[in-house]
This record gives sequence, C-alpha cells and structure tokens, in this order.
Amino acid sequence: MKITRRNFLKGSLATLFLAGSGIPVYSATNAKKNLVVVMLRGGMDALCAVPVIGDKDLKKRRKELILDETIKLNSDFSLHPTLKGFHELWKEKKGAVVHATNIPYTERSHFDGQNLMESGGKIPYKEKTGWLGRGMKVAGLKQKGLALALPMPLLLRGVPQNNNYFPTKGKLPTDKVLSLLKEVYSESSEDELIEMLEIIKSRPKERSYAADDLYSLANEAGTLMKEPDGPRVAVFEVGGFDTHAAQGGVHGTHSDCLKDMDLIFATLKKRLKEEFDNTLIVTLTEFGRTIKQNSGLGTEHGYGSAIFMGGGLLKKNQVYADWPGLKKKELFEGRDLNSTIDARSVYASAMSTVFDIDFKTMKDEVFWGEDLQNLSDKLFKV
Amino acid sequence: MINFFRKVGFGIKPDEKVPSDPLKWAQDQITNKIPEFSYKGKIYAEKEMRKFYREWVYNDRKKLRKKFKKDKKGYKAAKNKLRDTTGKRFWKNLEIAIRHKEATSSDHPVLAKLWYFWTNHFTISDKDQLADYSTGAYHREIIRANLNKTFEELTYEATVAWAMILHLDNSENVGPKSEDARADWRKRKKRPATINENHARELLELHTVSPNSGYTQENIQELALIMTGWAVDDSKHKTALETADVKFQKKYHEPGKKIFWGKEFPKGKKGLPAAIKFLANHPSSSEFIAYKLCRYLITDYPTKEMTDPIVKAWKKSDGYLPEVHKAAIEVAFRFNNKYTKFQNPENWWLQMGRMTDAKWPAADEKFDNYQLGYGPDPYQAKPHWFMEDMGHHPYLSKQPNGYSDLAEDWMSPELIIRRLLYARQGYINLKPDNKNNEFYEKVVINNFDNPDKIMKLLNQNQKPIDKHILLFNLPEILRA
Repeated sequence: MKITRRNFLKGSLATLFLAGSGIPVYSATNAKKNLVVVMLRGGMDALCAVPVIGDKDLKKRRKELILDETIKLNSDFSLHPTLKGFHELWKEKKGAVVHATNIPYTERSHFDGQNLMESGGKIPYKEKTGWLGRGMKVAGLKQKGLALALPMPLLLRGVPQNNNYFPTKGKLPTDKVLSLLKEVYSESSEDELIEMLEIIKSRPKERSYAADDLYSLANEAGTLMKEPDGPRVAVFEVGGFDTHAAQGGVHGTHSDCLKDMDLIFATLKKRLKEEFDNTLIVTLTEFGRTIKQNSGLGTEHGYGSAIFMGGGLLKKNQVYADWPGLKKKELFEGRDLNSTIDARSVYASAMSTVFDIDFKTMKDEVFWGEDLQNLSDKLFKV
Repeated sequence: MINFFRKVGFGIKPDEKVPSDPLKWAQDQITNKIPEFSYKGKIYAEKEMRKFYREWVYNDRKKLRKKFKKDKKGYKAAKNKLRDTTGKRFWKNLEIAIRHKEATSSDHPVLAKLWYFWTNHFTISDKDQLADYSTGAYHREIIRANLNKTFEELTYEATVAWAMILHLDNSENVGPKSEDARADWRKRKKRPATINENHARELLELHTVSPNSGYTQENIQELALIMTGWAVDDSKHKTALETADVKFQKKYHEPGKKIFWGKEFPKGKKGLPAAIKFLANHPSSSEFIAYKLCRYLITDYPTKEMTDPIVKAWKKSDGYLPEVHKAAIEVAFRFNNKYTKFQNPENWWLQMGRMTDAKWPAADEKFDNYQLGYGPDPYQAKPHWFMEDMGHHPYLSKQPNGYSDLAEDWMSPELIIRRLLYARQGYINLKPDNKNNEFYEKVVINNFDNPDKIMKLLNQNQKPIDKHILLFNLPEILRA
C-alpha cells in the first residue's frame, strides 16, 4: 500500500495535532508511576525498525537493507522481526510508536545531537542539566532517579541525589574511613562527593558477584522500581546504532542493537509485573538515518527517527505519525525521513503524565516555554 | 605548587627528589626526540599485530565457520582455541602495561600524560577486533611516534592509519563517478557507488576544526569525495581480508579537481594531504586543540587567557607539537594555584601508581613470558580488567569522540565506588616493605604542600590499608 500524508491525516492519526496545549492534566490514581527512558546512541534507523509497508521509494533506495520478513503492526507499518518483546506489548495494547519524529536538531553530528537529545536544548553543550532531571526537579522527585550506566547521564542531571547501578565486585572501606572522607569533603565544599558518599553508605559492604549485562541491569531496575519507595525514573543506554557500513537487514548490526533495546522492554515487563501498568517506557535517539543505503550497505546520518513506547500508561497500541512521505521532495534536504513531530512534545507529555504535573508547567519549566504540543491525552492514560 | 607534578606528570615517586624548578622539569621532558619506551620486554610492531588480527578473522571466517557449519559445539571449541593461538585475550593487557609504565616508572611522565591526551583525541573506539589486536599499537606507532611533529603531520598519519580507516569506514567511501562506479557487477547487482561520510565528518568535527568552524553538510560531502580511494588494499583481500595495508587506490577515487569549503583541491592522491594541510592550519583547529588541552590539564571551562598563549605558540611554530605542548604546560603552571582539575580514572590510578612506586604494571617479565596458545594469567589479565571496570579502558571508548574530560562525567555513585575499591587495589599493589607509616610520610611529603595536615588525618586510622584508601580519595588527590 502506498500511504500519503493526506489519507494518513484522515485516519486515526489526524487527532494527534488537535490535542490542546496548556490543559492541566490531573492524576487519576495515587499509584506510584514510573518513567523509563532508553537512550539509543548512534542514530536509530526508524525505517529499519518500523518500516512503512509497500513503499516503493523505500524499496528502491534500500535494495539490500529492506527486510524480507517483518511483523505487521497495521495496514501501513510493520515491525523489525527482532523486536519480539515489543510485539508482545503491542498485542497487549502496551506498545506504541511515534514515527517521523526527532528533536529539533538537523546538523547530523552524533555528539552535538546526543548532547541536545539529553539536554532538550537547541545549542549544543549550552545546558548543564537534562530535560528529565529538570522535569523531576519540577515534580520534587529527589532521590528517585536511577541510571543503569556507569556515568550519570546528562539526561538525569538537574535534580539532586540520583543513583546509578552498574555493579562491580569488591569490598567498600570501613564506615570510619567513609565518615572521615565525608568530613574532609565538607571542609573542601565537595558537595557532589558528599552526596555520593551518602548513597554509597547504603550500598552492600561487599559484592562477590556483579553482572552488568543489559538483562541484569533491567532486572535490577525492575526489582527496585517495584518497591513503593523505589526509584520512579530509570535511564538505560544502548549504543552501536551508527551503522555506516554493513548495517544488515533482519540480521546484522542494527538488528543486534534493536534486540538490546527489546531486551530492556521485555525484562522490565517481566520484572515489574503489575507495576508495569503504572509504567511508561520511551526511547530517545539523536537522529535517524538516510533513507538511501550507501555502497557499503550502511546508511548515513539523517534526521527523522521514531520513539518506541511501552507500558500500561499508554492509551493504546498505535503508530502515531503525521507521515511526511518518502518521495525525494518530501525528504529532509532530499535525503532523510522528515520529522513532523517535535520529540520533546512526547517527552514533555510523558513527564506531565507520569509526574502528575500540568503540561504547561512542564513545558515552561523544562523546555523554556517552547512551542510544544500537549499530547498527553492522545498518547497516554491520564 | 607541589600539585603541579601531579597535574602534568602523575606526581613524585617516594625516593625521587622533588625538582626545584617544576616548570623546567616538565618542559625538559618535551623534547624533539621521542624517548624509547620504559617497557623492556618485546614490543610488537603494528604490522605484526595486524598479522594476528588477520589470522583471527581469516581462520574464523574462511575456515572454522565452513568446517563446523553443522557443529555449533565444535565451532565454539575451535574458536576458543583460535582466540588463544592468536593471543586475542592477551595483547591489550601488554599494550596497557607498555602505556602505563610510561606514567608510573619513566623519567618522562609529562610526555605520557600528553600522549594519553592525543590517543583520546584521535580515538579508535570499540569496533570489530581493533581493541584486541591493534589499538594499542596504533597509539604507539601513529600517535606517540609523531608527537615530535606538527599537528598537520600527526593528523595525516592518524587519518591514513590502518586502524582509523577501518574504524571510520573509509574503505567504503567510493566516488560515484570513479572507475569502480562503472564496474559491471555494480550494474548487475544495481549497487551504485556512493560516498561514505563517516570519516570525513569526524576528521572535521573531532580531529581538526570542530563544529565551531561552521562547516556545512555540503562541506562534509566535499571532503568525503576528496577522501575516496584511501582504503585497505583490496588486491590483497583474498588472503588478508580487511587487514591489508591502506593504499590510495585510484579506481575508487572520484575523478577531477575538488572544491571543498570554497577552495580548490587537487585530484588524486594529493587531495587528502592538501585538505589536511588546510584543516590543520585553519585557525579553528589551533583554538579547538588549545581549548581541549586546557580542559584536560587545567579546568573544565578554560578561559581565553589560558588558550591564547597556546594558540600563539601554535602560530609561531606552525603547529609544531613540542612547542604547543610546552606552551600548554606553561599555562598549566601559571594557573596551577588557581585551578585544580578533577582527574579521570586512568590518570588518578596512575598517579597512585607513581606516587607509591607500586607494582603497576606488573614486572616486564610477567608480560614477556606470555606464551601464545594460552590465555593470560591473572597478572597478565589485570590491566584490561581493571581499566574496563573503572570505565576508562583506553581501547574501549564507546564512540569516536573518546572519553569526556568534564568532571561531572566522572562523578556518579558507581564511579566513586570504583575509586574506593581501586584505592584498596592500589594498596595491594604496594611493595611489601612499603606498607608502613614511614612510607606514607615520604609519599605525602613529596606530593603535598600541607603534609602535616594530611598525615594527621591519615593517622586517625590504625591500618595502613585504611590510610591508603583515605589518602587516594582526598580532594587533593582526586583533583590536581
């Protein structure tokens, strides 16, 4: 089937842009709600992950990268066959996709792009905090963030006392040494170090086993988030999406990366059990990839990508898009899938829903009052 | 003032005399001749290492996969054996030992600290088998060996280095009007030749002018065209696979003169050196490198007052790296009392190693005794394991921009846990005779302006191990 922007807008997606802005959203329940963000570094190829069905332009430009088997989601879009966990969510109406979306960044540098996808800003390296950290600050969520990574991602910065989990084996120093260190840090005004020592004091004194593979990390995140006073926000990172050569189709490098992402979705669902109904997972990437394959059977840096969403806070299973089309004149600068939805609208709406803060406050306090749309009642259960 | 020795050179050893002129001490280590490595065991040439790489990929891809097509278990066993007959689990340990010895034992630790800066600048990130066989050798032969040349020369060598070409896919960068573009197979398979922008983009963004220079997507594509043809020699592909030498191959090169950033560049082999000459000598490159050097040595957000003298030295010497380095060291000296820099995990770890004359890395013989066909023993395996666990493995950065130099990127509960745990490991690495109070006094007197205060603090602990953990997590040590 060949889809056009017109008939797409006539379909179930038309209302996406009719969502009002500035309408307060109130919590329907007092249950603890969780937000998980999975960062996909390197530029996730949305046309590989969620290809549009039967599009001649896509087939023509991606002869070797076109998937010969896919999972059909609806009449217009299918799913990469490696995304089995996500497909299970979809079938339970706990999986959805926002397609042809990106942060408002078009320069195609990974590092500037990744900085902006985390800061939520428009000038690389200008902001020292992340949109998620600022959102948590607005919601008063101190000590509720968990990064499943060794460093603390910029995305979570901006609210005090976030934790991270990336275990290693070994024995921590005695309480006396930790207390002495705390005294010294106080004298030297090393506030961040003091904050971290506080967190470290609550850690097991000794670990003789430590697993830091994605499954183990997701398992731990799920276990901790299930606790009533556990973290409400978790951040994961999956790397390797930058496939300039030998990208692969059903199998290959890009597929392996998608599989990693899928493992996080599936493991969280399994571990969170009924708490998954009060959870929302969203993905984040710096840009998509060119529609055209290069002669090394890879793709170059592009623009529009997609956001995968999972969890019981989703309204329904749907591919949301204001589809821009894939004809050359419809592509961004004649080469990339266009972005017709500012991804930050989705993230601001997600935080508004999960943190029970009205959208306008979130938009104003986190995204400097920029022109973002409130998609909360379209995408999520509010 | 005494922290300057740690800032630029990992500190003073227990039996080393504290130099009376710190700036002279540091600048004297930057010479026109690159000194020999302190490691005295066998050091393998990059080409030799590539043979092991070749042996691994060739035997795995061309032999084992075919031989054990229907025997998964047999394939796994044969692959494990191949892993050790090619030393796959050992080499990165040896390379880290060579690298770390420059910091902990050599008489030119300042050069070591600058070497690490440049290996991170021209990063080879974790891709294919590069970390296992080649990145360490690339750091030695391409980066360190050219630190007595100009920035232009270093950039050229890094750009056409085999590891970099493989890392950033330039072998896949083919001119759309090149001879190869007209090949029959392309018509038959409907696979038109295209450029691959990866390497050109990073040459601009990460290695030379940086995005501050204002280049455009069009400029990236123009540079990619100039870079077409610089690829792994495919005439050797049958047996060498992707491990053959990098060679300019005309058949992949886009013909004709090129326009790049509004300037004309020669066609053919001369195009890339000319483009690198232009980029390396562009004012944005000197500003970018000066800023990065100050960020590495002095503070997260350097001022113009810091970068200006480095840019000036660059201009005066046409980017001759020893002069640039001397200027950077002088600026670090000038601002030493005003700014301290949070040390990244590797530099912190090596600071502990040098200051305590620890058994790190293990003795040369431990590595030199390695026998092909076996996995590394526990001693031989530590360098890789430790650096990976600390999150700062020099051959395993996740992306081509290398590791961050910002303090905040090295601060998280888990990263601080590593400092506490590896301070304990540092104690384990001490020579047995050094686990006493007198030894710590020597370490502290040699490396701190306020030794009495620090000793008083350390003496609140009875056990030497507690003193050690405390000492190497003091703010004075975490920063330099």
